[in-house]
Amino acid sequence: MLHDHLLSWITFLPLIGMALILFVPKREIAAIKLVSLVCTGLPLVLATWLYFGVFDKTQAGLQLTERADWIRAIGAQYFVAVDGLSLALIFLTTLLLFVAVPASFNITKAQKSYYALLLLLEVGILGVFVAQDYFLFYVFWEIMLLPMYFLIGIWGGPKREYAAIKFFLYTLAGSVLMLVAIICLRLDSGTFSIPGLAAAAKSGTLLAAGSPMADAVILGMPPNTWIFWFLFVGFAIKVPIVPFHTWLPDAHVEAPTPISVILAGILLKLGGYGMIRACFTLVPGQGEHAYAMNQFAIPLAIIGVVSIVYGAFVALGQTDFKRMVAYSSVSHMGYVLLGFAALTVLGMEGAALQMFNHGTSSAVMFLVVGVIYDRAHHRDLNGFGGLSQVMPRYWALTTLGFFAALGLPGLAGFVSEALTLIGAYQAQNPIFKVFVVISLIGIVITAAFLLWAIQRVFLGNLNPKYKDYTDMNAREIFCQAPLLFLCVILGICPWFLIDWMNPSIRLLVSTLTGNA
Amino acid sequence: MESYLEGMRLIAPELVLCGVTLVVLVWDMVRRGRDARELGGVTLAGLAATAWLLLGQWSALGETGAHAGTVLGMVTVDRFGTFFKLFTVGALAVVAFFVMVDRRERRRGIGEYYFLLLGAAIGIFFMVSTNNLLLLMLGLELLSLASYSLAGFHKGEKRSAEAALKYVVFGGLSAGVMLYGISLLFGLTGTIDLVEMGGARSGLLAAQLHASPIPVAVAMVLILAGFAYKVSVVPFHFWTPDVYEGAPTPVTTFLAVASKAAGFAVLLRFVGALFLVDGVEATIRAYGLGEVGVLLAVLSAVTMTLGNLAAIRQASLKRLLAYSSIAHAGYVLMGLAAMTAGGYSAAIFYLAAYYFMNLGAFGFLLYFEGVTGSETIDALKGQGWKHPLVSWTMVIFLISLTGLPPTVGFFGKFLLFREALDANLGWLVVVAALNSVVSLFYYFRVAKALFLATTDGEAKNRQPVLGGVLAALGACTVLFFLFNGALQDWSEQAPASLGISPPPGE
Repeated sequence: MLHDHLLSWITFLPLIGMALILFVPKREIAAIKLVSLVCTGLPLVLATWLYFGVFDKTQAGLQLTERADWIRAIGAQYFVAVDGLSLALIFLTTLLLFVAVPASFNITKAQKSYYALLLLLEVGILGVFVAQDYFLFYVFWEIMLLPMYFLIGIWGGPKREYAAIKFFLYTLAGSVLMLVAIICLRLDSGTFSIPGLAAAAKSGTLLAAGSPMADAVILGMPPNTWIFWFLFVGFAIKVPIVPFHTWLPDAHVEAPTPISVILAGILLKLGGYGMIRACFTLVPGQGEHAYAMNQFAIPLAIIGVVSIVYGAFVALGQTDFKRMVAYSSVSHMGYVLLGFAALTVLGMEGAALQMFNHGTSSAVMFLVVGVIYDRAHHRDLNGFGGLSQVMPRYWALTTLGFFAALGLPGLAGFVSEALTLIGAYQAQNPIFKVFVVISLIGIVITAAFLLWAIQRVFLGNLNPKYKDYTDMNAREIFCQAPLLFLCVILGICPWFLIDWMNPSIRLLVSTLTGNA
Repeated sequence: MESYLEGMRLIAPELVLCGVTLVVLVWDMVRRGRDARELGGVTLAGLAATAWLLLGQWSALGETGAHAGTVLGMVTVDRFGTFFKLFTVGALAVVAFFVMVDRRERRRGIGEYYFLLLGAAIGIFFMVSTNNLLLLMLGLELLSLASYSLAGFHKGEKRSAEAALKYVVFGGLSAGVMLYGISLLFGLTGTIDLVEMGGARSGLLAAQLHASPIPVAVAMVLILAGFAYKVSVVPFHFWTPDVYEGAPTPVTTFLAVASKAAGFAVLLRFVGALFLVDGVEATIRAYGLGEVGVLLAVLSAVTMTLGNLAAIRQASLKRLLAYSSIAHAGYVLMGLAAMTAGGYSAAIFYLAAYYFMNLGAFGFLLYFEGVTGSETIDALKGQGWKHPLVSWTMVIFLISLTGLPPTVGFFGKFLLFREALDANLGWLVVVAALNSVVSLFYYFRVAKALFLATTDGEAKNRQPVLGGVLAALGACTVLFFLFNGALQDWSEQAPASLGISPPPGE
């Protein structure tokens, strides 16, 4: 029972939690928190069991498949499964949501609604990672938006209304275009199944001459071109990639700390995951290109590199601590796109690893900002100084987290960035070597703004205003500890991720490049 | 005599409805001055009886298409008509309930209210179940006359009077235009029966088209203008916001849901009978009037875009919903523009979806008119925390109106997009998709007011019964997304009974 429907249990346990919370009177705060902890903790336990106990890491294909008819008239199915691409992200999601609950304990406004929405958000995110039916995928993808809107809009900072609707509008603009592309793929192939679509694309029957949608031209673009870009932009807005990133600083800055953690840690990964799961292998290319992905690899790499460098430079210019961290996400997620575009096993692995590692390190950084914001109620980087004297534990953990983010050897960020860049260097097209060199500028700038931030916050003379500050308490350490542990352990033993991903990634790359 | 009795059996639902209408009128006179809510009860009972008869008729009609029968050559009983009659009965029941719980409505002596609503429904019943242009026009006028009086029901209120007058003027004009178009068609073909006019055997319209295309085109444009007015398609939409705003909220609900759906029903039947019925399509296209689809697509794009853009700046929730209903007319037109059986089914499904979410949204408006006495969005500030059930239900209606899962509105939009893409109207789908994004912005101004602001003070004027009905509508909005097999089957069988079948191989 549990084993057969493990993915469904992981996905829908938070929904049960949400229903329970709705029945708890709103004054019973402790009970609400307990339910939230249990209903985010159980999926974490199950996901850990899934990772180490159930999942067969030697297999490349989908595992733990559950499949049932849902809406017969349109052929939509309840089809969930997991493979090496989604497994780590499912684990990351359950972990970050579990961390987000205690990180939210100092929120006092309308707690009942808050935790209910948080649990609904988790259902949406996990649903996207397990769905293998494009209709189901899309439904979960959209379900996520609603709780996010309210979580930013109700519990956010001063400009929360603006940030919330901006986030909602940007993501919806991307996803409605995705919907058009999905419907077109369905009309052409007669299936919503993502593996089914991938198989059709591989065999060359999808959007082939004479198939139903072969002459559906939009804006003068042939179907495989516009479908690719519609899907890609839908995911790119989520990642976000320059020039679709402007919602990100607003949303991240205005959102309460735990929601920033989820935004940066998981929601951005959905974009990258969506590309490898539901975009690159589904859209066939024109002419000698087997996939639209091959055709557009260079433009993708260019926007990746632009994101890396631009994001880093903008982060360097920020004086708001949280805004700086937000822009660092733009820069870090640029590697993911560069790694994808390289179309090599190492590059793809690096990108997948980078998604996971950015999930932990950016979460730590947002928690770090939250700790100081809770005490000082401002985030001006120039307004601090000398905090290492009063908050030594905070200093130590922050430094560790920042070093992981800037790619210090021995920590997780280094492995993924190095793999990505090596992978990109190996790419067939020599122009990628230029891209790698340009990306190195990003690494230097990233180191610069992170170290400069540490200097401005922790070193120098202690501002007497802050001399009474208490160091991090047990709850705050508890939130950061598991994430920092992952940053360290995956820096030393990255195979804890790579071994699980490798078969699926090899399959993906061999499909995309056509080399067995 | 036999056939006469047979005919009476077929129009039994209409007869029952007429009976109830008269009973309501007499009851009101006999028990003058009593709390009119008991009349609401009578109305609901009558509607229940009608619905029961209609359901019996639906299953008796069987799954195969074809006309089940005509009464005196005028009334056509088919599944298409029955679907919209059931739809009307459902909408009217909710509207009657709204009248009963409307806090701003006086309690005594409003028997005419129910009488006029039922009269409007009789008009709808006849207009959706006829192929005869004369009866269609009569039904339409009956509906219109009742609606004019209903819009001005608050006689003392300036806004209400203005609404009624505007409605009469626009309505009269468009009816005249339409009638002129019909007379042209009659002159050209010598018949007022749509089936004969477009039918595969006689092909009168096709023949006329061949001989003199311009008069046919003129007649078409005039008649379509009349329909466009009824379903408030740009550029015949100007009356909509003013009338919707001025009319009492239950009447607005009726106009936005039942009356609009009926307008679409006749439009679907008209376009279907002349251009889409099996065998006609090829002839018509050969003569070049297949471009009706392109015309409808352009109207659809313009309507949804203008409706959505105009809604952005509205301060009154009632006006906002009025413009949103214009935009939704544009979405439904996508299904017609596809000019396929699938497009028809999608349009019908979308109307059903529209039913749930718009009844819900107007019910929410009614609820908060009772709470705050105002219909502006500003008045809703922070109310979400005081009336959580109704307000979160409203959020469901809002995401359904925007077209986001997991709601029936999303599924309706999905079907429309699919059929339009299938008919190679990719550009229209992209326009509609971007329109959804625009609409999100203004729909969520309501959510923003409800939850993103806070106010002090205690919750007052709770209306648990209305709240419960709204929650049930909200539950339907979600459940009909998760389990929509039956609704889909119905929406597919309805156009089949018009003789429009999907291409083989579907």
